[in-house]
Amino acid sequence: MTDLTAIQAVLAEPFMQRALTGGLLTGGLGGLLGSFAVLRQLSFFSDALGHSALLGISLGILLGINPTLVLIPFAVLFALLVNQLVSRSGLPADALLNIVYSSSLAFAVVALSLVETYRGGIQQLLFGDILGISWPDLAVIAVLLVAATAYLALSLRAQVLLTLNSDLSGAFGVGASRHRLAFIVLLAVVVAVSIKAVGVLLISAFVVIPACAGRLVSRHFPVYALVSAGLGGGCALLGLLGSGLTNLPSGPCVVIVQFAGFLLALMVSQLTRRPRATAGPAGGRIPDAGPASPGSA
Amino acid sequence: MGSAPVVQVQNLSVLRDGLLAVDGVSFTLAPETDTALVGPNGAGKSTLVAALLGLLPRSGGSVRILGQELGPDGELPRSVRSQIAYLPQTLALQGRFPLTVSEFVGFGFDRPGLNLAWLGGGSRSRRQAIQQALQRTGCGDLGEHLLSELSGGQLKRVLLAFCVVRPRRLLVLDEAQAGLDVPSTEQFHQLLLELRRQEGWTVLQVSHDLEMVRRSCDQVLCLNRCLRCSGPPDHALSPERLLELYGPNVVPYRHQHHHASGERP
Repeated sequence: MTDLTAIQAVLAEPFMQRALTGGLLTGGLGGLLGSFAVLRQLSFFSDALGHSALLGISLGILLGINPTLVLIPFAVLFALLVNQLVSRSGLPADALLNIVYSSSLAFAVVALSLVETYRGGIQQLLFGDILGISWPDLAVIAVLLVAATAYLALSLRAQVLLTLNSDLSGAFGVGASRHRLAFIVLLAVVVAVSIKAVGVLLISAFVVIPACAGRLVSRHFPVYALVSAGLGGGCALLGLLGSGLTNLPSGPCVVIVQFAGFLLALMVSQLTRRPRATAGPAGGRIPDAGPASPGSA
Repeated sequence: MGSAPVVQVQNLSVLRDGLLAVDGVSFTLAPETDTALVGPNGAGKSTLVAALLGLLPRSGGSVRILGQELGPDGELPRSVRSQIAYLPQTLALQGRFPLTVSEFVGFGFDRPGLNLAWLGGGSRSRRQAIQQALQRTGCGDLGEHLLSELSGGQLKRVLLAFCVVRPRRLLVLDEAQAGLDVPSTEQFHQLLLELRRQEGWTVLQVSHDLEMVRRSCDQVLCLNRCLRCSGPPDHALSPERLLELYGPNVVPYRHQHHHASGERP
């Protein structure tokens, strides 16, 4: 009973209400975009973006401009640059991203060390402060969530085909480079907007973990995207509530809940996979369709 | 209108990494014909196909598909684009991919551009077309399988279902038979024949199976950067032509006449 009153007390705080709404939206947005990013092998891209965001923030501080204003254009510019680099250099994306990721971190730390006054806030940059989220922040995230959902739903065919094979998508009339660019810009904006709440170090978890959990348990693509978004939002909500009750840092709490969700999905997938595996690719019988003859023929 | 060429390629050249991978190639594809593109590895077959489909920039020449000029960046009117099907060598499936065969084939049915045709499995005609395409390609029992659960040969058949789920005019195949077992290969050719004879499709296929080419194609294009020869199989695949195309070490037809057991080093 005391637990319930504690939860009620936490929920009564306006800052906590904002944080929970922010967590739900940010988590959902991360899960939704993550479901595409993970299949397109862009997991590490979101990590590199997160670290580059730190550079953006540092530059903003150094130049005396509000870091939040710098962040979105910086992240977009950075994403476009990395995209060009990956497509033109002929080097593997993971190696290139590693170069970009570590050098931007190095530059960011150097830039921050030049600013005496900001040293105290480094913790907040690294791990985020979801409790400091404001109503305008929430409005921006909500608009982004609606825009991302609409764009991904309308372009689902293009997104899936270009993930599977860019020549296939091109031959069937998908402007692959256009959609690839649009997605990367969207991902960059989402990362930039979420950084304030989640922090530089853990942002990629918001993109990668719920999507991987969703990937393990879903068979249909729309279900997969929804499960990933739902898991992202749900885990963020639970993690924040836990953080509010225990006074532990919010970002890490969310990621721990996400990780627990991932383990659960892993267990579920192991339990449900077994009968399917025996059907095998040799292909006489499909478990979903029941015994051989009466099915669809 | 009926006999106007489906594809006209004139003097097509493609640069790849600074090298001329395809050099001044010209040919036409007449309606309802099956043309094979043969040549050794690295001869530029896939490059030619990609340039023809507008997937690679060309450094010279022109391509017309169904009477429409292919733009410099591969642009084609949407009405023409929706008449083309392409079967790539493989898909980039790494790990579990949460997409069923039916969902995938459905995307072949949907028109290009932003739409929500997939929502809830789509219209009745869409679902019927998916089912029919799966049946025709021998994938009737694979609809609910994940794409990533399929074997190489099954994936090829599903890709073919993706191509035939909607009536079209031109089918471009890049080594479609590779990985298919004997019954599937037969079924594959039967279907190609049916598409051409009954539904007016035109086929262009990259192939290494010269026996198949000899049996089922009307026209052969022998490519080794430039077009070495072209014509009906009997002419283009004569031992002399093959010697010229593949060099003295590999003459795929020779073993029919002489060394049946193959040579040892």
